[in-house]
Amino acid sequence: MAITVHRVSKRFGAFVALDDVSLSVPGGSLTALLGPSGSGKSTLLRVIAGLEPPDSGEVFILGEHVTQVPPQKRGVGFVFQHYAAFKHMTVYDNVAFGLKVRKRPKREIDQRVGELLRLVQLDGFAQRYPAQLSGGQRQRMALARALAVEPKVLLLDEPFGALDAQVRKELRAWLRRLHDEVHVTTVLVTHDQEEAMEVADQVVVMNHGRVEQAGSPRTIYEQPANAFVMGFIGPVNRLEPNGMTREAMIERLVHYGFEVRVDLALEDGERIWAQVTRDDAEQLELERGQIVYVRPSHTRVFGP
Amino acid sequence: MARRTLRGLALGYLLALLVLPVGMVFARAFADGLGPVWAALSRPETLHALWLTLAIAAVAVPANTVFGVLCALALVRHDFPGKSIVNAMVDVPFTISPVVVGLALILVYGQDGWVGSWLAQRGIQVIFALPGMILATIFISIPFVVREVAPVLREIGTEQEQAASTLGASGLQTFWQVTLPSIRWGVVYGVVLTTARALGEFGTVAVVSGKIAGRTETLTVLVEDRFQAFDLAGAYTASLLLALLALATLFLMNVLTAREEA
Repeated sequence: MAITVHRVSKRFGAFVALDDVSLSVPGGSLTALLGPSGSGKSTLLRVIAGLEPPDSGEVFILGEHVTQVPPQKRGVGFVFQHYAAFKHMTVYDNVAFGLKVRKRPKREIDQRVGELLRLVQLDGFAQRYPAQLSGGQRQRMALARALAVEPKVLLLDEPFGALDAQVRKELRAWLRRLHDEVHVTTVLVTHDQEEAMEVADQVVVMNHGRVEQAGSPRTIYEQPANAFVMGFIGPVNRLEPNGMTREAMIERLVHYGFEVRVDLALEDGERIWAQVTRDDAEQLELERGQIVYVRPSHTRVFGP
Repeated sequence: MARRTLRGLALGYLLALLVLPVGMVFARAFADGLGPVWAALSRPETLHALWLTLAIAAVAVPANTVFGVLCALALVRHDFPGKSIVNAMVDVPFTISPVVVGLALILVYGQDGWVGSWLAQRGIQVIFALPGMILATIFISIPFVVREVAPVLREIGTEQEQAASTLGASGLQTFWQVTLPSIRWGVVYGVVLTTARALGEFGTVAVVSGKIAGRTETLTVLVEDRFQAFDLAGAYTASLLLALLALATLFLMNVLTAREEA
């Protein structure tokens, strides 16, 4: 295991950020820590990096016990949501920072920075300042800076959280390609289930400072461990489990390209929704105010 | 139209309160030609006062710069018992009258004060001598750097410093290469204000120096001394020197900032 977290707890005053969390990250994988805000996912990442000391528990990186080791000596690369770019330095100096503090020879630094800037598609931007870059470019620079010191593990704290939807999607796909190229063990924190499912080999769903479930995206999706995981990873309808056909009224039709979302109100006032293709919607001549009959096709029953 | 009125108002305000009086000092100093100014300048008292003023600033400004940056770092980045007391103490020199500060220093460091008597036995005179004047100047100019740097530190946050530490930088490397460059404007502005105050301080220095002509007179004390002695040329010349020092400080700051922005 590249990273092992063993029974880590952390409180901030009365708030329990991490409640006896254990976690294993396989070497070379891309693991996503997924959860709503306040679930402890960022705190867990910062504990792994050494930026936050845990109240109890242990952290191992590549088998080495690092709980007491300061962040400087852990060999981690960390990327922050708001880039944490060194604003007074050029892109070149930002990326070279870790190599310069290690007193590497100038030629080696030149060569390495050049390679990294090509890797993150910022060649030609070496002499710019962070203020002259777009958000996406800044985050790619931050990634190159973190990779420059050849970290044992790469930790990304909501790296695309501050970017607009379009750029976020592009960078997400790009990150996956980059990971397949570089192969450094990566942990990504996100609250966006689509992002986690699309990018990660392993997804760890967190809530209230605990791990709810860890597994491949497919396992998480198809065999959610509990109602929270199921609700968080995708849109679902919550119904009392009787499996019967019920009467419902169409409240709204929302057209998303080839799909149509039908918002429905059940006879007891509870609201659910269904997704149909545009062709089906046209064929059935669905309209607002109509009464239709619905029956669940996939159900999963969780205990109280 | 409104903008032009506003600009006129701002210019008029500055002209009436700043440019005109300072300009008058220049005009008066040279009212009778270069002769009296040259005579006043070449008097040993004037030269000594100039030297003394610069010497005091040369010690007080670096001391307060180092203290101010460290103090701001401690107040913004760390939690320690008594933090709010330290925070309030920093402003004391702003709120207490300079004359009171001078008297307080005499009480502690004078020949009969507890620290002063101990030092006197070892042959060190503080009050009515250079050490006391330096001490007084440091005291009254403590808050500037702290108060300029602290908000900048708060604004830049800790992420850049954390990034530096994950990249392997030690605490000192992070301070010199990341923190200090990020707060440099706060430091520069704080240093300019500290320098201006150190050069221009009158009340505290007048009390602790004893105003001994030719020995413990700074430029500000000299201005008063010459004025009282009806030596207007001498007073204006000393004022002129003070104004020139202030302008040099401002000029230096502008050169520094211009180079940084280029």
